[in-house]
Amino acid sequence: MSKFRGILIRLRGFLGVFYPMIFAAKYLAGKRTVMISVIAAGILASITRLLIPVYIGDAVTAIESMSYSGVLHVSMLIIIVSSITGGLQFIVSYGSQYISQRFELSMRDSVFHHLMRKRFRFFETQTSGDLLSRTTMDIHAIRNFLNMLFSQMLPTIFLIVFALYFLLTINPYFALIFLFSVPLLIYAGMAFQRKQRSRWRRIRTYYGQMNERLQENIVGNRVVRGFSAEDLEIGRFSDTTESYYDEYIGVARLRGFYNNLMPLIVSAAATAILIYGGYIDVISASDVGPLVAAVNIFSVISSPVSSFGRLIVFSENARAGIERVSLLSDSTDEEDVDTRDRVRPDGDLKIQDVTFSRDGRKILDSVSMVVPKGEFAAITGKTGSGKTTLTSLIPRFYDPDEGNLYIGSTEISRIPLTNLRSAVSLVPQEINLLSGTIRENIAFGNEEVGDDSVRNAARTAEISDFIESLPDAYNTQVGERGITLSGGQKQRVALARAIVSHPSVLILDDATSSVDPETELKIFRNIRKDLRDITVLLVTHRISALKFADRVWKLDEGRIIPVMDISRDLEGITSGAGISYTGVGNASDV
Amino acid sequence: MPQTYEDLEDQIIKTARGSGSFRRMVREIFQMRRDSAALVTTVIITAVAGTLYPLMLGFAVNAIIARNVFYLELFASLFFLLYLVQFFSNRIRTISSTVLAQKEIKSLRDRAFQSLQYVPEAFYSKVKTGYLISRITNDAETLSEFLTFQLPSVIAGISTVIVSISIMFYKDFNLTLYALIIIPVLMVFTISIQPRVRQNYLRTRKTIAAITGNLAENISAIRTIKAFNVEKRTEDNFRVLNDRNFRANMKASQLSSAYGASIRIIEAAGIAIVLLAGALQLIHGVTSVGILVAFVVYVQEFFDPVIQLSQLYNSYQSSLVGISRIYGIIDQPKDKEPEGSESQVEFKDSIVIKGMSFSYGEGNALENIHLTIRKGEKVAVVGHTGAGKTTLSNLLLKFYRPEDGGILIDGRDLSTISTRSYRKLMTPVLQDPFLFRGSVMENIIFVDPGITREHVLELINRFGLTDIFSSLPQGIDTNVGEMGRNLSEGQRQAVSILRAFARDPEILILDEPTSQIDPYSERLIIEALREFVKDKTLILITHRFSMIVLVDRVVVLKDGSIAEEGTFNDLMKKEGLFSSLYNIQYGDA
Repeated sequence: MSKFRGILIRLRGFLGVFYPMIFAAKYLAGKRTVMISVIAAGILASITRLLIPVYIGDAVTAIESMSYSGVLHVSMLIIIVSSITGGLQFIVSYGSQYISQRFELSMRDSVFHHLMRKRFRFFETQTSGDLLSRTTMDIHAIRNFLNMLFSQMLPTIFLIVFALYFLLTINPYFALIFLFSVPLLIYAGMAFQRKQRSRWRRIRTYYGQMNERLQENIVGNRVVRGFSAEDLEIGRFSDTTESYYDEYIGVARLRGFYNNLMPLIVSAAATAILIYGGYIDVISASDVGPLVAAVNIFSVISSPVSSFGRLIVFSENARAGIERVSLLSDSTDEEDVDTRDRVRPDGDLKIQDVTFSRDGRKILDSVSMVVPKGEFAAITGKTGSGKTTLTSLIPRFYDPDEGNLYIGSTEISRIPLTNLRSAVSLVPQEINLLSGTIRENIAFGNEEVGDDSVRNAARTAEISDFIESLPDAYNTQVGERGITLSGGQKQRVALARAIVSHPSVLILDDATSSVDPETELKIFRNIRKDLRDITVLLVTHRISALKFADRVWKLDEGRIIPVMDISRDLEGITSGAGISYTGVGNASDV
Repeated sequence: MPQTYEDLEDQIIKTARGSGSFRRMVREIFQMRRDSAALVTTVIITAVAGTLYPLMLGFAVNAIIARNVFYLELFASLFFLLYLVQFFSNRIRTISSTVLAQKEIKSLRDRAFQSLQYVPEAFYSKVKTGYLISRITNDAETLSEFLTFQLPSVIAGISTVIVSISIMFYKDFNLTLYALIIIPVLMVFTISIQPRVRQNYLRTRKTIAAITGNLAENISAIRTIKAFNVEKRTEDNFRVLNDRNFRANMKASQLSSAYGASIRIIEAAGIAIVLLAGALQLIHGVTSVGILVAFVVYVQEFFDPVIQLSQLYNSYQSSLVGISRIYGIIDQPKDKEPEGSESQVEFKDSIVIKGMSFSYGEGNALENIHLTIRKGEKVAVVGHTGAGKTTLSNLLLKFYRPEDGGILIDGRDLSTISTRSYRKLMTPVLQDPFLFRGSVMENIIFVDPGITREHVLELINRFGLTDIFSSLPQGIDTNVGEMGRNLSEGQRQAVSILRAFARDPEILILDEPTSQIDPYSERLIIEALREFVKDKTLILITHRFSMIVLVDRVVVLKDGSIAEEGTFNDLMKKEGLFSSLYNIQYGDA
């Protein structure tokens, strides 16, 4: 009894082969008619395909009885029925493509939509290479299977069902012999599916690992060379490709056995029919035509059956793909960037009793501060003291554990994200320019920004002279196919991008670290002059920048402390910056 | 003007270079003698067995008609035996084809990776990371499908056709001619649609490449996209590309579906011709029913390889492109190690830069630089952003080769010195503090297992960096994440500094090593460095002056040339570029 249940459970597992179809259904809303038509055409096509062996049998009978007109008649039938099969097959194969491509289109759109809305924390836990392979390879694997399912798998199943029926009409015993082979076929399929699953999972993992190793090696190539780590890196990469290779060979061994077992089972049934049928024919001295038809039916189904094993591989791949892509196919971990109202937050920037922890470690401990509208404020603190964390709470890249932030009198969690982020511009330490022209990078998706605004922003960021010295000026390509900008130039383009649409709050998180201090001060003065009401929050260590600010805070062990006198109160942070040169070994404080 | 993805691809498909690469790969595959012999043998056995069984079927039918049970049983058993042979040979074929394919793919990947370790550094400024990754992962992967499934099945198909035509001619010459009437029709039809197939193929490749490129860029720029709230617009752009890809795919599948349907009809016509002609021959008593039955099966079997061949085209094209590109990476010219084979294990005297110039393309980044650095000397190179400071350090690190002039180490030209031995002498702290996945500790020890944990802890303490790492959840065992993202910029720099110092090199090149570290910690580092670099040679590249106390001499670069040179006091007195730079930072503001 329990054994029987075990078989049932396994059978249900086997039916999981079709799971990708159920998964895909929600991306194919409104395509039901197409799917039904394709399946219907598949059913009809398998009937008409099986009619051909029957006709060939008839032809043989006609030939045996020396009836030329009979042969002519049957030949015509073969051509007509094949033309119909051809037409149906077109519907099946084009329709399957349509369904699968449609699925890929809408799944990709949906995944991209979700991807754009994931929280910042989400991206901290993922590597970009892995996300890329989830959005491309994994969806592709599901698409491939869907196509196979409609164009090959379902037709093969219909083919087997109707083959049984046709055999039944020819001779019930033929059908019975064939019927014995079906459970064997299913068993072989099940065993194959079960045994290869874990291997495919590992193949994917190693593939991802290969991607990560490559990425790291290429991006960090200077470090690899600078420290002569080439051989080590080559060894590690080769280890990964080796594991990948081993898994593939494991799959090949399984495939070698099971994949070829299936046609063997079919041919064993065909042989049994040939011997049994032939024997009966010899004894009863009947026509050989029906037997030829029966054996021919087997040759029609044997090639689809032999590709069934491959379909199972595709299905396994698709299921692994579904598992991986599910990370991106729903709204968990998302933020709401879609709502927006007309109100643009404005006013003083207020941080009240904000506490923030990460991995159980308190980074900010009831931090409170106010930057009055229009002021130029600075935060300083030791490396790793939480300055970046604090500033990224303002555009709500992260939400505090406790406490609130306000712009004017509105709590920022009540401001639609879209409004908040258009009012607050944050320039991070790490700069990302996208491929496109400098102009496009500065205007960055905002169509209301005109050429004048772009030029003005570039002027404020002290980068206009450089841009205008380029042959194509603002139309110079940067990014993938463009010119290479130095760190300082990139930072200034990013700054121009941040100020072009006149935010109310500008956060510069060490955003001018690669710009020389002389230019930096010029930029600050420009911001003061050109963007009158803007509130600026500066994160910096530079004493010259701190001197420029209207007020200064320091972060120390998660707490914020106002700094009254930057020459005294920054002991342990900036003191030491102003070492004046009095000869080696004789430095003293300013 | 850099070539676009599409240009390159088009060119490869058009030129003979593509098929040359293909031949090269085939040669490599055949060098794996045992597996390729197994593959070829089993492919042929499978094909021959496959062509013999319709014949056995025919003989069995004839035996039935002749009422001969013994022959029926004999030929029916042979019929099954052939399938059994096919089972075993196919099994070996499946495994050996995968072994060959995967071995070749592994070797291509490994060689490409190896090549990347030794290509000139300048290569990386010309090519995008994503491009290289996708060549080595995706392109190699497309080969897998082609080598494992397509190629063996085509070889099998061709051998089937050859063997079965031979058998047919042997059995019945006239009927064979009738059976072959359909072949030219099939060929002309198949060949005539190839240009359109190719066009469709190119279109689908182009559109999918656009999608991948867009995705890669947007994923890496996600933080910027969110900060500027352009999610919607980014999404709209993506939708357009996605839609374009959909339409290209549908267009391609229209053609291939119509092709598949037409093949069925041509096949049916072939069967009908054989039946009619066979019936005529039979009436004239020239052939037997059994042979006719066998012929019908043969005609059906012709069509499988043909359909496979036509499907092969796309797969062949994409493999061709893939393989040419991977060989492109493998064949990249390397930094010539033989030329620099002399090893330099000790630095005794001086580094002399002699009339050196360098450019990245337009305009000189460095022009006619003359500079001598003696062993034990500490030199700072200062100047505005873009003055050529980092270029100078790249040349000293042998990442780039000077175009004019050269660098002499103890009187020997740098290009004759083996890169590996040279880099043991000179360790850099690079401007970009790149970290690998793994813990802080692992990043510091990096490559050199001789560095102990105690030594690292001692260094952290000596350079006053304890506080910097104290906010990390697991201290120095904290995982730094992809590209070190779990650390702040300053923490990353601290790791990068320790990584270099832990090696205790003779010559240190520091390129803005502390720009993101707070001045107090920086000062602790400087104090400790003073002792640390006592007997070392130090080259410090900076536009900040906090570390100037460490050096004996300052070189001021301006627009790629040396503008001033001298001790701190000399330069301050001179009131030139250096003193103006200095005063902005530390003068009365």
